[in-house]
Amino acid sequence: MSTAIGRLVRAELKLMVRDPLVLTFVFAFPIVTMLIIGGSFGTTPDPDFAGAKPSHWYVASYLTVVIAATGLIMLPVHLASYRERGVLRRFQASGFPRFSFAVAQLVVGLLVTAVASALLLIVAAPVYGVPGMHLPARALIGIAVGAVAFVSGGVLLGSLMPSARSAQAVGLLLFFPSFLLGSGGPPPRVMGSALRHVADVLPLTQVTKSIRDPWLGLGTATNSLIIAGALAVVATVVAARRAAL
Amino acid sequence: MIRDLRKRYGARTVVDGVDLDVHQGEVVGLIGANGAGKTTTVECIQGLRRPDSGTLRVLGYDPTTQADQLRPHIGSQLQDSALPDRLRVRETVELFATERARNADELLDRFGLTSRRNNAFGSLSGGERQRLFLVLALLNRPQLVFLDELTQGLDPAARRNVWAAVARLRDEGATVVLVTHELDEAEVLCDRVVAMRGGRVLDAGAPSELIDRHAKWATVRFTWTGTPELYADLRAVAGVRTVERIDDRLEVRGDRRIIAYVGAELVRHGPVPDDLTVEVPDLEAALLGLLDGATPEKELEAVA
Repeated sequence: MSTAIGRLVRAELKLMVRDPLVLTFVFAFPIVTMLIIGGSFGTTPDPDFAGAKPSHWYVASYLTVVIAATGLIMLPVHLASYRERGVLRRFQASGFPRFSFAVAQLVVGLLVTAVASALLLIVAAPVYGVPGMHLPARALIGIAVGAVAFVSGGVLLGSLMPSARSAQAVGLLLFFPSFLLGSGGPPPRVMGSALRHVADVLPLTQVTKSIRDPWLGLGTATNSLIIAGALAVVATVVAARRAAL
Repeated sequence: MIRDLRKRYGARTVVDGVDLDVHQGEVVGLIGANGAGKTTTVECIQGLRRPDSGTLRVLGYDPTTQADQLRPHIGSQLQDSALPDRLRVRETVELFATERARNADELLDRFGLTSRRNNAFGSLSGGERQRLFLVLALLNRPQLVFLDELTQGLDPAARRNVWAAVARLRDEGATVVLVTHELDEAEVLCDRVVAMRGGRVLDAGAPSELIDRHAKWATVRFTWTGTPELYADLRAVAGVRTVERIDDRLEVRGDRRIIAYVGAELVRHGPVPDDLTVEVPDLEAALLGLLDGATPEKELEAVA
């Protein structure tokens, strides 16, 4: 790979797997919390989980924890630290094509998400089993669209933050409510109505629904998919402009 | 080639009508105190900043509108620009190498980084980092190289090391724009020096020309125990401005010619003292007054 994007992707992937923050939040955190929460509610179908097995509910939900960790923590901190340290200026001055960095970040974000998600399912399989997909095309589109929305959103967030520290602070502040209300926390049916309203406006909730519902046969979640798709388009366009060299 | 470059940040004018020509194969030093507008000028030349007005032509391109075409031909060592800490030296070179790149191993070897190939950027010393930036600046066979505050924060040994690297570059015929506030660095490395202050060019020329223009004087010092007639004879020498005597120590100041004349007088009166020293100003002495204290009127005189 000798194109600028290829060279960037290769270097960035190496950096990601050497970054303790990435290893912790994108790879370890989703697996550990999935194992704990998935085991807390048992494996018998439960009306609070729309009739699904709680363990399967969480396996199908947790891909978005990986997606959120990538988009809300990994990429913003990474990009902000690049801006802070003048790495982006060096890329710019060295003649890297204008959109090469933005595209490379998108590719790296999606690759990291894919690998971390695969790892999550590999760990889940012997413990809780991976449920079969009722509407596989819909579920896979939901995964792809959600990943693009959050990876682009992460690039955008990183391009707006003045420093790596502020990116980490804001990223964690966005991540944990999204994680607890929109993906890996209690199911919506046990939340109070106020909390459920808050959960509904979180982008991660929509992405989780657009994956989990067709996966477990709870519905098509078309509205959620449209919202996630719109977010993906807007975030990608704005992120590409903001992260252009 | 730059004509009448101007750039403001808010109400502050940083570059105020700069003209600059750099010829192929030349090492040109842009010197001046912090805030003189040097870095902003080279950033405009590289298309990293958009000037408010002025004409720029770099390697046939307009950096304001053709930065994408221009940048592949430029090598740049930027001020205040790091690399990811966990990226290794070898990987860094691979990342920046385009299809035009020269042999990276040879470059790393030339800059003494071969043994650090597998070390992360974060573990390199200040001097090693600057040498790696030099490697990156030269990697893709640039036609024009910008080096901005290359030796800032380096210890003297590391500084000499980096200087030697730039000198080799010069000897190979590279065209280099060196931004610095270290006048000794400019004197050692540059064919031509452009002195800037307050966003304007004060004077430009070869280091020796600038010394001639702004610091022609010389000081001769020695111990004299011979005949007192020497004092009067020295005062009559052409070019001598002052003769000061403290006990047996004499200090004679004047223009450069006095070095020969004072020598002749010493030979004539004899015996020639064995502690004779001659001090001639360097570029630093020549430019310190120009950069620090000159009034606009004096600057105009100096340029004229």
